[in-house]
Amino acid sequence: MSEVVLQARAIGKSFPGVRALDKVDLTLAKGSIHALLGENGAGKSTLIKLLTGVHRLEEGELLLDGKSVQFDDPHAAIAAGIGVVHQERNLIPRFSVAENIMLERLGPSVLSRVDQATLRAEAKRWLDLLELDVNPATPVMRLSAAKMQLVEIAKALSLRSRVLLMDEPTASLTPHETEHLFTLLQRLKRDGVTIVFVSHKLEEVLQICDSVTVLRDGRNACQSQPMTGMGRQDLVRLMIGRAEQIPAWETRDRTTAPVALQLDKVSTSLGHQDIDLTLHRGEILGLYGLVGAGRSELAKCLIGLFPLTGGKVTIDGQPAAIGSVAEALNRFGLGYVSEDRKQEGLVLAHSVLDNAGIAVWSKLAGFLGFLKNGQIRERVLPAIERLEVKTPSLAQQVGLLSGGNQQKVSVAKWLAAGVRILIIDEPSVGIDIKTKAYLHELIRALADDGTSVLLITSDMPEMITLADRIAVMDGYRLTGTLVNDRDYPRMSQGIMNLIHGEEQDAA
Amino acid sequence: MQPASSLPLGQPRSAGSPSFVRAGFLGGNEFGLIVLIVVFATLFTLATKGFASPFNLFTLGRTMGIDILIGFSMMVVIVSGGLNLAVGAIGVCAVMAAGWAMETFGLPWPLGLAVCLLVGAALGAVNGEAIVRSGVHSFIITLATMSIFFGGMVFLSRAEAFRELPPAIAAFGKLRLMGFLSPLLLVAVATALVLGWLYRFTSLGRRMLAAGASPKAAEVSGIRVDRTIVGCHILSGVLAALAGAMLTARHGAAIPSMAGHLGQDWLLPAFLAPVLGGTLLTGGKVSVLGTLLGAMLVSMLTNGLLLLRVGEFWVQAFLGLLLLTAVLLDLGRRRLLARHRIAV
Ligand SMILES: Nc1ncnc2c1ncn2[C@@H]1O[C@H](COP(=O)(O)OP(=O)(O)OP(=O)(O)O)[C@@H](O)[C@H]1O
Ligand SMILES: [Mg+2]
Repeated sequence: MSEVVLQARAIGKSFPGVRALDKVDLTLAKGSIHALLGENGAGKSTLIKLLTGVHRLEEGELLLDGKSVQFDDPHAAIAAGIGVVHQERNLIPRFSVAENIMLERLGPSVLSRVDQATLRAEAKRWLDLLELDVNPATPVMRLSAAKMQLVEIAKALSLRSRVLLMDEPTASLTPHETEHLFTLLQRLKRDGVTIVFVSHKLEEVLQICDSVTVLRDGRNACQSQPMTGMGRQDLVRLMIGRAEQIPAWETRDRTTAPVALQLDKVSTSLGHQDIDLTLHRGEILGLYGLVGAGRSELAKCLIGLFPLTGGKVTIDGQPAAIGSVAEALNRFGLGYVSEDRKQEGLVLAHSVLDNAGIAVWSKLAGFLGFLKNGQIRERVLPAIERLEVKTPSLAQQVGLLSGGNQQKVSVAKWLAAGVRILIIDEPSVGIDIKTKAYLHELIRALADDGTSVLLITSDMPEMITLADRIAVMDGYRLTGTLVNDRDYPRMSQGIMNLIHGEEQDAA
Repeated sequence: MQPASSLPLGQPRSAGSPSFVRAGFLGGNEFGLIVLIVVFATLFTLATKGFASPFNLFTLGRTMGIDILIGFSMMVVIVSGGLNLAVGAIGVCAVMAAGWAMETFGLPWPLGLAVCLLVGAALGAVNGEAIVRSGVHSFIITLATMSIFFGGMVFLSRAEAFRELPPAIAAFGKLRLMGFLSPLLLVAVATALVLGWLYRFTSLGRRMLAAGASPKAAEVSGIRVDRTIVGCHILSGVLAALAGAMLTARHGAAIPSMAGHLGQDWLLPAFLAPVLGGTLLTGGKVSVLGTLLGAMLVSMLTNGLLLLRVGEFWVQAFLGLLLLTAVLLDLGRRRLLARHRIAV
């Protein structure tokens, strides 16, 4: 085996009420791509933070080129040639893309004038490398989740680290962007860079990784094993201790059920044109499209965050003019699971219970708005338990849970809300494969009980597993609707045809 | 659920044991305040002659009651992520309106109190609506309304006090239960219970907290953030008016200058109590008990220092220093929180 660059020995870490890591080992060889896998809350991000000086290393030892090192802060790790893309965004929203990428190198000294032109030129190089087409002068807060993720990657690349740790870098990327990133990672690897890659998408891991470390409940389930000869089921077994169960669901036809939500030539202030859509009672209607197709934006218009400019929305046969999310929820039983858990999904500083209950407060409030915690618990616990949210207690601050567990709470609160129409936007970003299957069961059960679901997801297998029909959107217009027969190759081909249909016509 | 505590806890390190959680409470503001209160009370009792006398306890309780309410009137807007510089102006305006109504129409005191609270609510609503509709930060809006409210009141009242109030009001201020207890303190404690109940058990209170901690997430979860913020300001106005009413009971008259110029004398206790008590200045976290204890500590320090014949000026400087220390502690705690949040 080639030379070892970074080695972690017997790493441990405890948080109040949680033993996050216990005697974990990790060995990274020069010029390799190393997968770091495990369920939500297994300790992957914690390990990465210990290796990069975000948390202080108090148990265990870190060897860089065989010499023991200790990073007191993130800066020390960067200086030692260890770059990182954290799971959560660490960008400054009001700063430009260029300033964010070059944040550590704004000028030779703290008092020197920041030369914007040079910054932009330098930043542009890294953006081009990722084929990210944004103006370096754009403030980061105007970018979509996927683009922010790419900016963060560009920032890490620009540091030219010898070791690059990437915590779920592809979570909000589309397959196209992911492919491109992988080409780049292969090139870095040939140049001798060592990469650690965290992902819940096992196909990606199998595609590019050379070796793998799996964590289970904070311990090594395997330590730096070569990937050769390993298959998907081997990885799954290491992660969850058993093989994956893939439910065989038969196709359903709900088109004869009464119509729950109907859009008639709807246009919106965000730029949608002539959207016609019919969602039946108990139906799961998928909404597919590439990033920037305008799906989340349509959802936000429907729930009253942005105004409609034309057309008609009908809910349960009644015309619905929705002015606010509160009205959508309380009058029409319409809820929206946001794709952005940090900003729109969760109140990070509040407890798991308060977050899970927020959408049912108005329903459960009794005399003088009195709420009983017992009642809320009863209402939300089933979903929280089914999704195996890993938390020391329901009083734990949501912001302290692992990324995937936060996502579970963000989705669970709406599954428990008892709404009649639910728009679900990218529900499984960052959720491990086991819980993803449970989540799919929950959504399916909800629909079987009569809730109508509008499912927005960029995860094609998820779409084909769950949806009864699939509507395809491109450039803020609907380009067609397919009945899902769950034949993966045929469906994905059909969807792609609908996305590129117009371009082909024009060509 | 699979509680993380069921994880194999490898070594019996401090983390994971319940003592960690308790350490959190003991390190919390409430506990620290109780310790400080006990320490200073002992100190003052030993060092001064009059501190523990029934009469001093009575006047101290009276001041505490008022300071607690002033603290609450600021706390309820801090919760929503804003602040209200006009609490003093609102308090004075409300009692002046009530004083006028009682003198002019001979209203009995319960109706006078109702007028007072209603005016407080109305002025709070003006603040709230102006903030929500303009989108300007509450700092600017309430800085402006502080002058407007106070100026309007001075103009209308010609800066004349109302001294011919129903005698029951002054009698209430002088009432001594068991020889040392002022009923004003009981009013404050009752208010604390109501507020505690509001934040802990009602959907309204939780909405206020959610809107303060993360307006966007609250909005998308179906909370009317705008309405909620207006609600916080109305509540603030009512509490300021109640504080004004209590002050009126103490003076036996409604006096334009009883909260200083523009009502500014209230600002220090208004910020000190919640900040000492651990209410997060950025909103979303509240401690009613902490605010109560914070106000008690402030009143007690003022009272004790004056008994020690430390000059009034030094007392103010001391309180300012206390506020600064508390704010710095708050900042430190926020950094810690933020660090943990990144650390997710
Ligand atoms: N700052 C913190 N305070 C308390 N507990 C924490 C903190 N950070 C992480 N934890 C806990 O440590 C455990 C491991 O978390 P970690 O974020 O490393 O998981 P992960 O493997 O990255 O999961 P995911 O796939 O969901 O991102 C979790 O149980 C989490 O709740
Ligand atoms: Mg993680």
